[in-house]
This record gives sequence, C-alpha cells and structure tokens, in this order.
Amino acid sequence: MALQPPSPQTNVPRDDAGDVVDAMLLDTRVRWIAIVFNATVNGVDQFTVTPYISDPTSSGG
Amino acid sequence: MVRLIGMMLGVAVGLSGCATEKMSGEQLARVAKDWSLSIRASQVIPVYPLTEDLEPGDVFLVQTPVEEQVKVYLDKGFLPLENLVTRLPLTGYAEFYRGWPKIGDGIDAPPRVWQFPTPEAVDADFSHAPLAAFPTYNFSVSRSGGLSVAIPVQSVPVGLNLLDSASANGTITLKDAYTYALPTRRTYDAISAWSRDNAEYLKQFEPTTPAQEGKGVPKTQDFYLRVINRVYLVKTVDVSLFSNRATSAAGSAGVPQPVQLLNIANANTDAAKQFEAINQILANAGSPAPANAAAAGDAGAMPPPVAVGGSVKLAMATSRSVSFVETFRRPLVIGYLASDYAILKGGMLAAPTSTFNMLEGRAVITGKAIPYQGCDADCARIRPWLKQAGNQAKLESWLEAKGGAISIADLLTGDHADLRRNAVKDLIEGPN
Repeated sequence: MALQPPSPQTNVPRDDAGDVVDAMLLDTRVRWIAIVFNATVNGVDQFTVTPYISDPTSSGG
Repeated sequence: MVRLIGMMLGVAVGLSGCATEKMSGEQLARVAKDWSLSIRASQVIPVYPLTEDLEPGDVFLVQTPVEEQVKVYLDKGFLPLENLVTRLPLTGYAEFYRGWPKIGDGIDAPPRVWQFPTPEAVDADFSHAPLAAFPTYNFSVSRSGGLSVAIPVQSVPVGLNLLDSASANGTITLKDAYTYALPTRRTYDAISAWSRDNAEYLKQFEPTTPAQEGKGVPKTQDFYLRVINRVYLVKTVDVSLFSNRATSAAGSAGVPQPVQLLNIANANTDAAKQFEAINQILANAGSPAPANAAAAGDAGAMPPPVAVGGSVKLAMATSRSVSFVETFRRPLVIGYLASDYAILKGGMLAAPTSTFNMLEGRAVITGKAIPYQGCDADCARIRPWLKQAGNQAKLESWLEAKGGAISIADLLTGDHADLRRNAVKDLIEGPN
C-alpha cells in the first residue's frame, strides 16, 4: 500500500513555505495546494499549507 | 364495453409508442440525466439504468481523468458503470450488523439472503433489510417538450396517455427503499489484499504522461479503482400525475378518448370495472402473451411488452389526476457510495478518497492538519539527500516498512523527530 497523502501543516513561516510545498508535491496525487495566511508572530508571517487531491476552487460545499 | 377496450388499447399503444419509439436519443439522454440529478440530490451517486446486480465490493476501473469524470458526471448526471474488474469476496456483515436478524456472512450475506430467501424461493423478502427513505420528487411532463424531470419508470408515459393531457405536473415517491453497506475499512482491507495479488494486472494502469505537443506541463493520466461500499435499492415507485389541462391541444388528434371515463365522480361510469380493466391491460402489456388478445378481436393490434421486470398498477384516477404504483420484481439498485483508489507506480494503490466528494467537486483535504515543527538537523540532512536520484523511492519504501506509511512531507516537518533520526541512521549514515 502506498504512503498516506501529506497532511495540511499549520504555522509554516514564510521562508519555509516553499520547502513544505516542495515536500508535499513529492506525492503525485497532490494537484492543488492552498497557502492561507495565518498570523504574524514576532514579525514573521505564518501560513497554513493545505494539499488537495481534488480541485478546491470548484468546491460544492 | 367495446369503446372502453378500444380506449384502453389506445392507451397501451400510446404508452409504448410514446415511451420508446418516438423518444429521440436526446430525450432518452435527458431521462437518464434528470433521474440522476434527482438521486444525486439525496447525496447518492445514481445508477442508470437501474440494476439489481451491483453490491458492495464491486470494483470498477476508471480510466477517465478526474476532471473529465466531473465533466461527464455534470453533463450526463451519472457515471456509466463499465469496466467491472472484480467482485471482492467481502466478509464482515455479521460483525457490522451485529444483532441484526438474518444478516451474516457466507450464504447469509446480503443481498442474496433477501433476494432468494431459500434456493427455491421466487419472491424476494427484504423485510429484514435496513430501511432507507428518499424525499418525494416533483416533476413536470410534456408530450411536446419532453420531460423537464424524467423518470425511468413507465408510469409516467402511461399516466400521460390516460390523462390525455399534453402536459402535467407530478410527484414520484420511492417507496420500499433499502440500503446496506460495509465500512470502508473492510473494503480497504479487501482491495489492498486483492491489489497485492494482482499487481501485475494493475501495472498496466500505472500513471502515464502522454506526449504533449506545444508548451505547457504535460498532464499525468491517472487510473482509479472505484470500490462500492454502500448501495441503495428501491422496490416500489409511486407516481402521481396532475393534468395541467383536461385535454390535449389540437395536436393530439387521434389520441385516445379523454379521461372522463376514469372519473369516479361521474355517475355514468363504472369506476371499479374500469380500474380493473385498465390494470388488466397494463398487466398484459408487460406479459409476453397478452391474455386478452382474442377478446380484443385483433391480436395484431396489441402493443409490445413494456413492463420489463416490474408491474404498473393504477391506484387512483380522477378527471385531472392519476396515480400509479409500480413494483419491480425484486428491489433494484438506484444509487451507491464508493471510494476511489488511484493506481500508482508498480500497481500499488493510493489512499482512498470519497467518490461522491470527488465528483461533486468538493475539496478533498488529504488529512488532518498538523502543526509545523520546523526543519531540524535530521530534516536538513534528509532534504538534500532526497534530491539525489532514486532516494525518494528508497525513503518511501522505508516509510512503508518502518514509518507507518506517513508522507515524506509529514516526516520532514511534522512531529516525528524520532522517525527522522531513524531514517537518517538507516538510509544516510547506513547500518554500522
């Protein structure tokens, strides 16, 4: 059986978001990744990085 | 009486003609779509045509890309169930339906125990099956313009002819509905075992990247296995039609006499006899050898059979409305729920995702959110190592064997410090 799909990760600092996205895209099932601003902590922007295997932009609910 | 029989023959001829011969391909496609849209509204993936032969554990090979499937699903309203790969020998009904009478495994597994209670039994007995209920669907129907909501049951064209109306509104109620299922955990175990045994077969469907002309990133063609885990069945359908007008317009010349003969409020008619006679006509229309062919005096005028696998019975009629009860010989599957498993390299299967969510375009998040832990020393060693050819496959194999099959992204920056340490020891430093 294959690996589980990557989980969304919260509180990812701006400078690390690219590396996290890179790692998530190693899984070929991941087709979309949402990067949503979380908060600024100690002057550093943090994001939630969420991988999707279906198109979240056509969400029906 | 001769006039009554003549009218009813006209009804029968009309219903068969309207329902089949004159129905264009476009209309037939619309029947499929509208029916499917109604079922989809109940959060179930529709089956069209209705079938008895679909059950949990059925595995279908899906060769259409997800985006294309969604397009087909939205366009047609349903997905053709083609490419049946296998029927998994599922067990676990006894445990899942613990304490439920007459549900077990082996020869007591559903639906066979309800379809054929005994080997000699002709009639199904679903009295012990888990019940389901569907809302009543409204629709309107027009001879000229087709059906704005079409239903794949024969009561609708029958009713339209009986009403002698060019258009009508109606309701359809799915009665005697049942459902049964196995948890996806069970189907997961079964499909995992099956995929291990059939890896060579599944390798044919590894993701491929077709050659693409022009610019742009080539799209990977993925294949899926769709595993059914719940089905919904219906045995009885009630259809009520309410005429918009008493008779059809000028274009209806030559159609049967208007429906006044069915008006039970009309003192000049014998409603009970007419009900009986019409039900007899409907029953004969569905049998291969019409019993009243001789009585009609013209065997060649009898319509072809229309009631395949079921029976239609007139339940109520007035000058403006008719109601039918249509009963299938055995309950038929009208919808299902399933999980999709992407086929990966080497014929391995990916984690399951809900087919319904995929088709409805609902965002499928890949797992529960985990807090980012930062990239520690071990993560920093794994990242560059991972970029060397062949190392990703090594890490994936290692994670499958020793890492609980978590993803690489989770390993690198999730709460898995010990696992990262072990990965570095085993894969980078080497066993010393």
